[in-house]
Amino acid sequence: MRSSTRPKLWQLYGPRPSDRKTSFSEQGRLQCDVKLATFATRQRGKSFAQSADERNTSATVQAALEAAVQRHTFPKANVDVYCLILESGGADAAIAITAASLAIADAGIEMYDLVSACSVSRVGGQLLLDPTSDESHHEDAAVLMAMMPSVNLVTQLVMTGEWSNSSSKEALELCMGGCAQIDSVVRQCLQQAAVSS
Amino acid sequence: MSELAEAPVGEVVFPGQTLCKLPSSGQLRLGPGLQTQAETVCTIKSGILHKTKTGKLWVEGRQKRYIPAVEESVIGIITQKYGENFDVDIGGPFTATLPVLAFEGATRRNRPNLQVGDLVYARVTAAERDLDPVLACTDAQGKSSGFGQLKEGSLITSNTHYARRLLSRPPCPVLAALEKHLKQYEVAVGLNGKIWVNSPSIARTVIACNAIQRAEFMSSAQTELLVSKLVDVAQS
Repeated sequence: MRSSTRPKLWQLYGPRPSDRKTSFSEQGRLQCDVKLATFATRQRGKSFAQSADERNTSATVQAALEAAVQRHTFPKANVDVYCLILESGGADAAIAITAASLAIADAGIEMYDLVSACSVSRVGGQLLLDPTSDESHHEDAAVLMAMMPSVNLVTQLVMTGEWSNSSSKEALELCMGGCAQIDSVVRQCLQQAAVSS
Repeated sequence: MSELAEAPVGEVVFPGQTLCKLPSSGQLRLGPGLQTQAETVCTIKSGILHKTKTGKLWVEGRQKRYIPAVEESVIGIITQKYGENFDVDIGGPFTATLPVLAFEGATRRNRPNLQVGDLVYARVTAAERDLDPVLACTDAQGKSSGFGQLKEGSLITSNTHYARRLLSRPPCPVLAALEKHLKQYEVAVGLNGKIWVNSPSIARTVIACNAIQRAEFMSSAQTELLVSKLVDVAQS
């Protein structure tokens, strides 16, 4: 999936049986793994292990999607989603969440709704929707929101930095608007994929 | 999402989309991919909305993973051999079980001679959500009627939607074209997306496999052209 200039590679496996070591669970397990390619950032990264940032992003993506996937339809099984970011931009986690929900919907796994995510950065008092990497580098505070637009539910909200009541309200509203726009694009993608086949 | 009086049959639908209100009287049967929420029907899968002749609504997308359902015919690969049953890989979330006695004329003394890696055409007899699916190589009356081991030939893996299309009536263009040009071949289609092709010569098997794989997105005219060209090239 490409978002302007930030391509990502997604792989989805499952539902497949869980490891024998994992205990029995009534609901299926959704596991997300986000990895940055070594050439994704300006400075060459280390490829052999997931850094703390990548583990954080993976946990964020997983939490955002768990609420949307109907996990009771695949008990004892695992759905593994792997993402390889080929070019890192400002809002990696937001794009990762949207792309993951696209991949899960495309694979035919039952979901309550598609998830779209958007992030807002506050740079010098100004709120910037979907920041670039330079803008997010200079931010004072940030909001990441993932929501299911049709049922109007927020699945994940991460706020960093200091937010006053009024500015946080403005930022959240901006995010919701951004999510609605992304959602229509996501639906178009799925429609094109279904129609072209 | 706006609610429509009539469900948009033939349209692409997405998870979370509200389709229509539940009818105040009468029955509305919902198949896979649909759920009721309050007084409305909404989708939980992405794909195209279909309606069967009996009025049942369902959603089908191009998925590779097979979710077992009872009374569906599938092609499986034997992965393990135990005393009382075989473990069969049918491309689903869990490995299926095929009892040793679920073959026509099988008794404790007279077991089927299947090895690990053999292909079987079987029928799903039990498909609970949280248990391993169970298969059988007989029909409901105990006769083999086409089920059993698939010897020789070649296996193609595709998605469940294409497999369903290949099994539909009227026959899929690629199978009709192969019947016309290739003549001597046999094909078994499993609803789990696995297709087995066999014929007296290797060249014919390869032509049939190629044709079936490549014809997925082609129109009938293109399929006809593809098959006749493949047969010509093989004969030259």
